[in-house]
Amino acid sequence: MATHTAAPRQRWRRYGTSYLMLLPFLGLFAGFLVWPLANSLYLSFTKFDGVNAPEFQGLENFRHLLFDDDRFRHALGNTFLYVVASVGIGTLLSLGLALAFSGSSWPHRIMRTIFFLPSVTSSIALMLLWKWIFNPGDFGLANTAMTWFGGRAVEWLATPGLTIPILVLMSVWGGMGYGMVLYVAGLNTIPQEYYEAARIDGAGTWQQFRRVTLPLLRPVTTYVVVTGLIGAFQVFEAVYIVFRGTNNIGGVLDSGLMIVPYLYDQGFTHFKLGYASAIAWVLFLIIFALSMVNLRIGRALKEL
Amino acid sequence: MRRTTAATCAALIAAFGAGCATSGTSETKQADANAPAAITWWSTGGDDESAAFQKAADLYTKSHPNVTIKVQTLAWDDAYAKLLAASTSRSGPDIISGGMTWTIQFGLRGGMVDLRKYGIEQLQAQAQPAQWKSAVSPDGTVYGIPLDMSTEALYYRTDLFDKAGLKEPPKTWEELTADIEKLKKSGVKTPFSIDWGNLDWIGYFNFLYQAGGSFYTPDCKPSLDTPQAEQALSYWIDLHRKYGAPTDTVTTSDALDQGIAMVYGGNWNALGIDTSKPKMKGKWTIAPLPAGPAAPTTFIGGRAVGVTSYSKHIQQAADFVKFLYTDEAVDAVTAESKARNIAYIPPRPDKIADSPFTPEHSAVFAGIIKTGAAAPGCPGWDESASDVAKQFQAAILGKADVKTALAEAAKVMERNAG
Repeated sequence: MATHTAAPRQRWRRYGTSYLMLLPFLGLFAGFLVWPLANSLYLSFTKFDGVNAPEFQGLENFRHLLFDDDRFRHALGNTFLYVVASVGIGTLLSLGLALAFSGSSWPHRIMRTIFFLPSVTSSIALMLLWKWIFNPGDFGLANTAMTWFGGRAVEWLATPGLTIPILVLMSVWGGMGYGMVLYVAGLNTIPQEYYEAARIDGAGTWQQFRRVTLPLLRPVTTYVVVTGLIGAFQVFEAVYIVFRGTNNIGGVLDSGLMIVPYLYDQGFTHFKLGYASAIAWVLFLIIFALSMVNLRIGRALKEL
Repeated sequence: MRRTTAATCAALIAAFGAGCATSGTSETKQADANAPAAITWWSTGGDDESAAFQKAADLYTKSHPNVTIKVQTLAWDDAYAKLLAASTSRSGPDIISGGMTWTIQFGLRGGMVDLRKYGIEQLQAQAQPAQWKSAVSPDGTVYGIPLDMSTEALYYRTDLFDKAGLKEPPKTWEELTADIEKLKKSGVKTPFSIDWGNLDWIGYFNFLYQAGGSFYTPDCKPSLDTPQAEQALSYWIDLHRKYGAPTDTVTTSDALDQGIAMVYGGNWNALGIDTSKPKMKGKWTIAPLPAGPAAPTTFIGGRAVGVTSYSKHIQQAADFVKFLYTDEAVDAVTAESKARNIAYIPPRPDKIADSPFTPEHSAVFAGIIKTGAAAPGCPGWDESASDVAKQFQAAILGKADVKTALAEAAKVMERNAG
C-alpha cells in the first residue's frame, strides 16, 4: 500500500515542475480549442439563433442536413470536385516543380523563392488580385490577354461552368510552392547511393523515378495530400471574396458554393448557428474519414 | 482508456453546461437615467460616414451634457457577424445601424428594443413612406428606423449619346431598347449594363414594380404568378440576351470609363466618378431609370438604426435616435458628408435638396425617391431573397424559362413564409 501511494508522489516530485510549466498552454488549449469545440458539438444538437437560448432537438439538424437540404448536397458536390481537382493537380505540379528546382544553384533557389511567394502573401490580397484579373469587359488582365490573341472577352465570374476551374486555378497557383518545398526536402533525404545502384542495375531515368524516388517520397506525398485535403475542404476566402454577390455567397447559381461558405451563410446570415455547427461536424467527419483512408493507403503501399 | 473516457465525459458535461448558459434574452438592468451615460454606436459603413454621424452625436451631447456618444465603424463585410456575436454575448453597442432589415432580424430574436415605447412613431410623417414601412417589422413593431437612403439612377455618357444623335436619356422601356440599338449602330460595343442588382433580386425589383407587379400582395402572399411579373422578367432577360447587358457586374465608374454608354448604378457612384476617373469629367450625367408600362418606380434601400435590448441606457439611446431626425442633426450630418464627399441621402425627403450631390443630381434623386418603393417587409423574405435571385439567374442564363423560374421563386417565398 505504501509503495502504491509513493509512486504518484514520486512522479509528482519528478515531473511537477514540468506539469506546472505546461499549465498556461493547457489553459489556453482548453479555453480556446477544447471548450469551443465541445460547445459547437452541443450546439449541433440544438436550434440556436445566436440571440435566444439554444433549444435541444436531438439529431434533427443532422437529419435535415443529410436528407432534406439540396443546397448542402450541392455544396458537398462542388467541394468534392474542387478538392479532387485542386489536390490532384496541386500535388502533381508541386512534385514537378520540386524535381525541376531541387538543386542548390542560385537559379534553382530563385525559382523556389518565386514559387513559394504566394504561400507567404496575404490570402485576401491574393484573392483581390484574382478578382481584378478576372474583371469583366476589357478591364481585367485575363480579358486583355484574350484580346491580344484575338479572342473575345469572357464573363469569367458570371459563367457558372468556369467557377470551379477558376477556384482550382487560384488554389493550385497559391499552394504548389508550399508543396514544392516539402518535396524538395523529401528529395534531398534520398541517398544518392540508391540511384547509383539503380543505374548499375540498368534502370533508366523513368525507372529510377518510379522505383526509387516515388516510393521514398511516399511519407511526403501523404503529408502533402492530407494537408491539401484539409485545406481544400475548408476553402472560404476564395469563394467569399471573388464570387460572393450582394445576396448570395456562392456566386451565380451557387456554382461556387462550398461547405464552409455555406456554413458561414447559415450561421451568420440566416441565424442558424445550431445548424451551422452540425455542418461543421459533418465536415470534420468527412475530413477525418478521408485522412484515415489516405493514411491507410499509404501504409498499404508501404507493405507491398 | 478509463482516463480518456472520463475526460471526454467531463468535456461533454462542460459543453452542455456551457451551451445551456449561452445567451438568453433576460432584461438588462438599466442604469440610473440621470447618471452620466457613455453610449456606443456601431455604425456599418466607412470611417467617413461614422465621422459624419459623430457630428450629430456631438450636437446631442451639447444639449445633454451627461450623455456621451461614440460612433465606431463596422465594415460591411463582417458587420453582420460582429453584431450577431454582440447579441449572443449580450454585450456590445447601445445603438446599431446596418442593412434595412437587420434591426428587424435582430429584433424578432429579442436583440432590439421596440422603439414605439419611446415615441418613435412621431417621426414617421417625416420619413419616406415606403422606406419607413420597409424598416418596420411585419407585426408593426419598430425595432429600427431609416438612417439614410440609397437609390438607383441611370448613369449615361453624354458624349456617346451625342455621337449616336441621341438628344436625351430614355424615359421608357421602349426608348431604352431603341437607344441601345442606336448606340450600337454608332459603334458602342456595350451600350448598357447594370451595376447595382445585376443578376440579383434588386435588379428585378425595378422592372417588376415598373411593370405594375410586386413580390407580395398587401397581405403578404407571394405574387409572382402575374402577367406583370412575367413581362418584367422577360424584359430583363432581353436586356441581357438580346441587347448585350453583361451578366458579370462592372462597377458604374469602370463601366462608363470602358465606354459603356448607360449604366443602372447606385447613388453613391455620383460623387466618386470624377475622382476615380478624371477623364470622365463632363462626359456623364444621371437621369431617373426609364419607366415601365405601369410606373417609374425605383428601388429604395438604405440603412436602419435602432437600440439594442442589452443596452444599459435604452432611454437615452432611444432619445438620441429620435434626435437624428431633427433639422440640426440632419444638417450637421449633411454638412460633414459634403466636407468628406460622402453620398449621403438623409432619411427625410424634404432634406434631399441639401444633400452633398450637385443641385442637378440632388433634384434627380429627390424625384426618384418620391415614387420609390422599398424591399418587401413580409415574413420570410430575408430567408428567400438569395434563392429567389437564383431563379432569376437561371432564367437569364437560359437554364429555366420565365414561367418556371417565377413559379420556383414563388415556391421558395411560400415555404419561408411559414
